[in-house]
Amino acid sequence: MRRVAITGLGVVSPFGFGAKAFFDGLISGVTAVRPIASFDASRFPVQHAGEVPQARINRAWLGRALGMDAEDSNLQRWEAGGWLRDRKLSWALLAAREAWVQAGCSEAEGEAALSLALGLEQALLEDFAPIYREGKIQWGEEPKAPLPTVRFRTPVDLGARAVRSLLGLCGRTQVHVSACAAGALAVAHGASLIRRGDSDVVLAGAADAMINPLGLGGMIRLGATSPRNAPDACRPFDRRRDGLALGEGAALFVLEAEDRALARGAKVLGFVKGWGSTQDGFRVTAPRPDGSQAAAAIRRALASAGIAPEALGYVNAHGTGTPLNDPAEARALQVALGPWGGQVPVSSIKGAVGHLMAASGALELAAGMMPFLHGSIPGTVHFTDSDPECPLNVMGPDCHQSDVEHVLSNSFGFGGQNAAVILGAP
Amino acid sequence: MKRSIPIVGAGAVGPWGLGWRGRADFRSEPAPSRQLSLSHPEVLGMEVPELTEEQDAGDRRQRKLMSRAARLGAIALREALRDAEWGAVREEVGYYLGVGASGAHMEEIPSALDASLVEGAFSTAAFGERGIYACNPLFVFQLMNNFTLCHGAILEGLGGPNAAFYSRGAGTLSALEEAVAALEEGICDRVLVGGADSAHHAVTWSEFVRDGLVSDGLVPGEGAAVLALAQDAQAPEAWLQDWGIGLGNRRPEVVMVAGWSPAVAQRLAREVSAQWEVPLFFWDGGEALAATPPMAWALGLDRIREGAASVLVLTEGLDGTRIRVHLGSTP
Repeated sequence: MRRVAITGLGVVSPFGFGAKAFFDGLISGVTAVRPIASFDASRFPVQHAGEVPQARINRAWLGRALGMDAEDSNLQRWEAGGWLRDRKLSWALLAAREAWVQAGCSEAEGEAALSLALGLEQALLEDFAPIYREGKIQWGEEPKAPLPTVRFRTPVDLGARAVRSLLGLCGRTQVHVSACAAGALAVAHGASLIRRGDSDVVLAGAADAMINPLGLGGMIRLGATSPRNAPDACRPFDRRRDGLALGEGAALFVLEAEDRALARGAKVLGFVKGWGSTQDGFRVTAPRPDGSQAAAAIRRALASAGIAPEALGYVNAHGTGTPLNDPAEARALQVALGPWGGQVPVSSIKGAVGHLMAASGALELAAGMMPFLHGSIPGTVHFTDSDPECPLNVMGPDCHQSDVEHVLSNSFGFGGQNAAVILGAP
Repeated sequence: MKRSIPIVGAGAVGPWGLGWRGRADFRSEPAPSRQLSLSHPEVLGMEVPELTEEQDAGDRRQRKLMSRAARLGAIALREALRDAEWGAVREEVGYYLGVGASGAHMEEIPSALDASLVEGAFSTAAFGERGIYACNPLFVFQLMNNFTLCHGAILEGLGGPNAAFYSRGAGTLSALEEAVAALEEGICDRVLVGGADSAHHAVTWSEFVRDGLVSDGLVPGEGAAVLALAQDAQAPEAWLQDWGIGLGNRRPEVVMVAGWSPAVAQRLAREVSAQWEVPLFFWDGGEALAATPPMAWALGLDRIREGAASVLVLTEGLDGTRIRVHLGSTP
């Protein structure tokens, strides 16, 4: 069975651009949840989020960030189409470029597959408005080519097409849309392609950006966001937790068959050792409270990795900071890991960066690389008051030194999709 | 060399209504789109006919949370489970689905816009103050395209491995590949795979118009189909013999071709004819996006049931990927 090596990592997070900024932020133990700057949220009930620190995106900025000529035809096309309004496009491109460069990939890796999780299309309400009259959207007035100005939403797979074009990839592309489990599933899928011999190299990960009027508004309307309008809005596993804070960003990994990576002299940063997924099959609006199906996903991941629960040195929890998720996840860990479930160090980075939705699983896997790359475990920012409903060994806000061989990362999506991925030290 | 996979049942809902048996020679005529009658009254296409309460998915309250695709997917899933006679123990049953874009009902958008316009322009402030409260809070569950998978899984109590892939063709093949891998790797011994989608959506249709696909011959379709695959079976309906991208080299007895436009279908037919002299059948259900491949697979399955030894189902969706699926009466 082929081992799946990680040879590249790229991150765009609320802490800034690049994996270094992300790890530095987690090590600092502070939050990157702050007042929203990318649009005027002053009249929204929630005005804080884990926003990538770049308020405005245009062709010139993205060109500079990618080291490309602003006259590049791709950049021009994305701008002309109005697609740069969807921030996840830029996050996907920047994280992909960083991972690709770090792995030392070149044209020789052009056959790489792409397994990318992307959040929902961005609905462009501001474009609906000019053709809305007398209670109706006037569909027939949609401007025609050559330069249409009305866009109703961005394409689902826009980020995947852009990454392929940027890096010149010609392998298969899979776009995962499994809500908050999608990022983890995209990485797991990429690893599976390598393990079973269908691909030698896969660029895998996720990008999402829901911090826009409809994205934020939808989560507020759903009652998912914390009503506290402050940087400490998200308090995973804390007794006072009351909802999530939105986040945005991207994390992409270059996954590679270990023998291939070693043969070309690539540095192995870690391994994807195992993965598992399940469905709650329970309710549209809530996770299964006994955590049994989430536990089944964790058990599958352990079996896939071929390790016992006690081999896990750290669990990066889904830990949304919502009243229902955290206790269900605590039960899942106890069911799946037995007594070790109450002892293994657990943390959630959502207090620091918010909930990146489709990208959360990928960014949290990046956080799971911290023990291998920095010898430390990220803390749970804003966790100060433990909750008996969540009887776990939750790490406090500070980063902790630790020598860890295996890391479990959990991701649970709206609709009951559960994913668990296990990383291994290099 | 791939191992043949037993197909032990299927569920489908399409322009012909419910079911897949006896549908192999299905033919339809485009009719005015009911779903697009307000936004694009001129559009002709193929739609799933009105279903009875018994045929439909869930109850009225549950259906209010569903997009059209989620509803069709849930119906096909239920029918596949019935057809495979998979009982109540479904915690280990896997489910992989090709899904489309967000397909929420458009009625919510005017409500949000009404509350968010200031002097004819969209006001972010007004949306933050009033617009978000003009929407149904559960509107999000219609918007999220993974719910095309989740609504059905919840209604049917599925608990196994799963994933939703965005598909304009190839994503549905990814779903099939993952489903087969789940069986091959022993992650589960029963798995459901298919796709659900509808092109009869105002936003989707407007995008097709703008992208020139309508003038290139796209006729909107919709539907869903799900195949039930098992690791082992004594007397399966058929066997999944081969699958992948491109025509492949395996000679079939008959071929079913589904292209997103008549011109694409004709091109696929020419490619087949250049390689083999075999009877050709054409898909006639309109372009159902993520759902076209599995709906065509279901009709191919019916052709096996009618006596064909092997059927190649060749589809090409809007992403331009040619997908082959070989079905056979034997492994």
